[in-house]
Amino acid sequence: MYCIALDTSAGTTVAVLKDDVLLVELNFAENMTHAERIGQALQDVLTKSGLRATQIDRVVVGLGPGPFTGLRVGLAAAQFFALGAHAELVGVCSLDAIALSFYQQNPDAGSLLVSTDARRKEVFWASYHGVSNGMPVRVLGPNVNKAEDIKNYLDLDAHQTTDLLVTALALGQIAFSESKTELGVNLDVSPIYLREPDATPGKGKRVSS
Amino acid sequence: MQIREATEKDLPTIMAIELECFANDAWSEDVMFSELMAKHTFYAVVLEQEQIVGYGGLSKLPGSNQADIQTIATKPAARGQGFGRALMNALTSKAKELGATEIFLEVRADNTVAQKLYKVFGFKKIGVRKSYYQPDNVDAFVMKTQMNYSEPIVLGIESSCDETGIGIVQGNKLLANVISSSMEQHAIFGGVVPEVAARAHLEALTPVLDEALNKANISLDDIDAIAVTNGPGLAGALMVGISAAKALSVATGKPIYAVNHLVGHVAADVLANGEVVTPTIALLVSGGHTSLLLVRDLLTDVQLLGETIDDAAGEAFDKVARVLGLAYPGGPQIDRVAKDGNPTAIRFPRGLSLPKDMQEHRYDFSFSGLKTAVARYVEVLEDKGEPVPLADIAASFREAVVDVLLSKAIAACKEYKIPRLLLGGGVTANARLREAAALRCEFEEIELRIPPFDLCTDNGAMIAVLGAQLIMSGAEPSNLSFGANSTLQVTKVQS
Repeated sequence: MYCIALDTSAGTTVAVLKDDVLLVELNFAENMTHAERIGQALQDVLTKSGLRATQIDRVVVGLGPGPFTGLRVGLAAAQFFALGAHAELVGVCSLDAIALSFYQQNPDAGSLLVSTDARRKEVFWASYHGVSNGMPVRVLGPNVNKAEDIKNYLDLDAHQTTDLLVTALALGQIAFSESKTELGVNLDVSPIYLREPDATPGKGKRVSS
Repeated sequence: MQIREATEKDLPTIMAIELECFANDAWSEDVMFSELMAKHTFYAVVLEQEQIVGYGGLSKLPGSNQADIQTIATKPAARGQGFGRALMNALTSKAKELGATEIFLEVRADNTVAQKLYKVFGFKKIGVRKSYYQPDNVDAFVMKTQMNYSEPIVLGIESSCDETGIGIVQGNKLLANVISSSMEQHAIFGGVVPEVAARAHLEALTPVLDEALNKANISLDDIDAIAVTNGPGLAGALMVGISAAKALSVATGKPIYAVNHLVGHVAADVLANGEVVTPTIALLVSGGHTSLLLVRDLLTDVQLLGETIDDAAGEAFDKVARVLGLAYPGGPQIDRVAKDGNPTAIRFPRGLSLPKDMQEHRYDFSFSGLKTAVARYVEVLEDKGEPVPLADIAASFREAVVDVLLSKAIAACKEYKIPRLLLGGGVTANARLREAAALRCEFEEIELRIPPFDLCTDNGAMIAVLGAQLIMSGAEPSNLSFGANSTLQVTKVQS
């Protein structure tokens, strides 16, 4: 099974996997150029892996959470790539991918807090407790809170943290693992926004004094 | 063997082959140079081990469905190895790509080898030009091939504001035009909220695409190219359509064309009337834009004469509707209430219409002052405890908007001596604008064109047809790295 995985919840990361093995991955750290990057990145991973789009069986997309405008780039691209390539479309929580990378590097680690910048002095976060069948076990989240409020939900001292970034490889690996379980892959590809649009119905105000 | 487009640098080598092949009637270097450089020609060279061994040229005028193979030559020492066939392949493919349905050529009556090759490509003898080749005094056979060609099927994606539009056209013909609007979700806010619009685009993409493909009765594999709006508009909204379009382009291997939303509104006339007769003045009025354009050529010469310096006309309708306690969107509500009102009851200001404005803002618009004037008028009455004559206010406000829009558009028609006016944008749904435009244009002997409403409002079909026009004129696809440009200039038809 060939899979293209992509995520734009932070930077832009795109990979091609054969089952759970990486063939090629491209990463761009900037968080303001998703729409510019995504097309060429998809083209480049195909070219570098020597595959045609029609050979792709599955598209895995990071659902966030992450800054909305960038996040949507990956979700929109994943939808139409899957349709164009006649591939299955699967969603994975982006924070889970970070947790997987962490546990791959720290196989004996216990509890983990993954948090990413949600702007406005808030963070997106989720907590994990070790791995099951090689995959991180999420305990809490994803949520959005002020960083200092997370202590109200869990014992910070008992959790390690990580500054690892989401990788398309990890997303693809999670989907591959899920596809072998009873529950199967997550076919819901709704973005994880965690916040309502920032708009309030305005009140009419006087123009004359 | 390798084939590529010829460049100026190839001229000496091409001339050497030309002289070798056509000793008695070779083209001069000047003629060859202008052929190579002309906009309407395509010259290819074929190389073997990085040496040019042959060349051929095609002429295809934009807008014509006919192409001519101008010349084709292979070095005598390199003949019989398929170079001529490869060149023919390149030239006929290019002709097809440029929208030609017929290709013509002339061949020496005594050159049976070449005639055989042309027959492989479907060329048939349709006539003889006596003694065409001099000084040898040899006849020319005129040959023609009919390409089993159909005009390009283009999928257009539009997401610049609150409408997710996907349209499908074949050449100038509309196959499908599906629009999903998030207007209702914006109603409680009294105007378009960019984040709400962008979320709605993401949700609408796949259902709208499915419906468009169903209506056109085709599958994604039938699409020849993809066109997408890359501006102007709301950046976050534009990015949804752009990202989807790029991914679809890569997944299907079909070229992508990033096109200008405002020029798309003008191109809608192709679907409504078969072509955009140019030159024309175009007035585009919507919730996001109020722009007056001078269109000399749809693809190469669109000029912005003026635009709003504050609110768009549609925005003014929304804001005044709120002042009057009417629902969103304001246009239809004000239209409804104004029906029973007197348009001359209150003289509301006409923005940027004073003599002093004619220097700097002759064709610009301003609706912010008008909105404030309406609000003040209502407040004064309310403060006095007097009844507010809704119908008269709505009618008078609407008249002020329509008056200034049409006065400036018609002034532009007169100044540039262009007796044509094209209306576009969602505000063309306004009954009074349509009525007044018809009356005033008739009086001024200006031909007025207003496409049907679902081609006037934001839609994907107008984007698709602009893409199709670009393809048929021979435009190269866009590079995949384009981004959303919320302030894209109207002069930039393709990015």
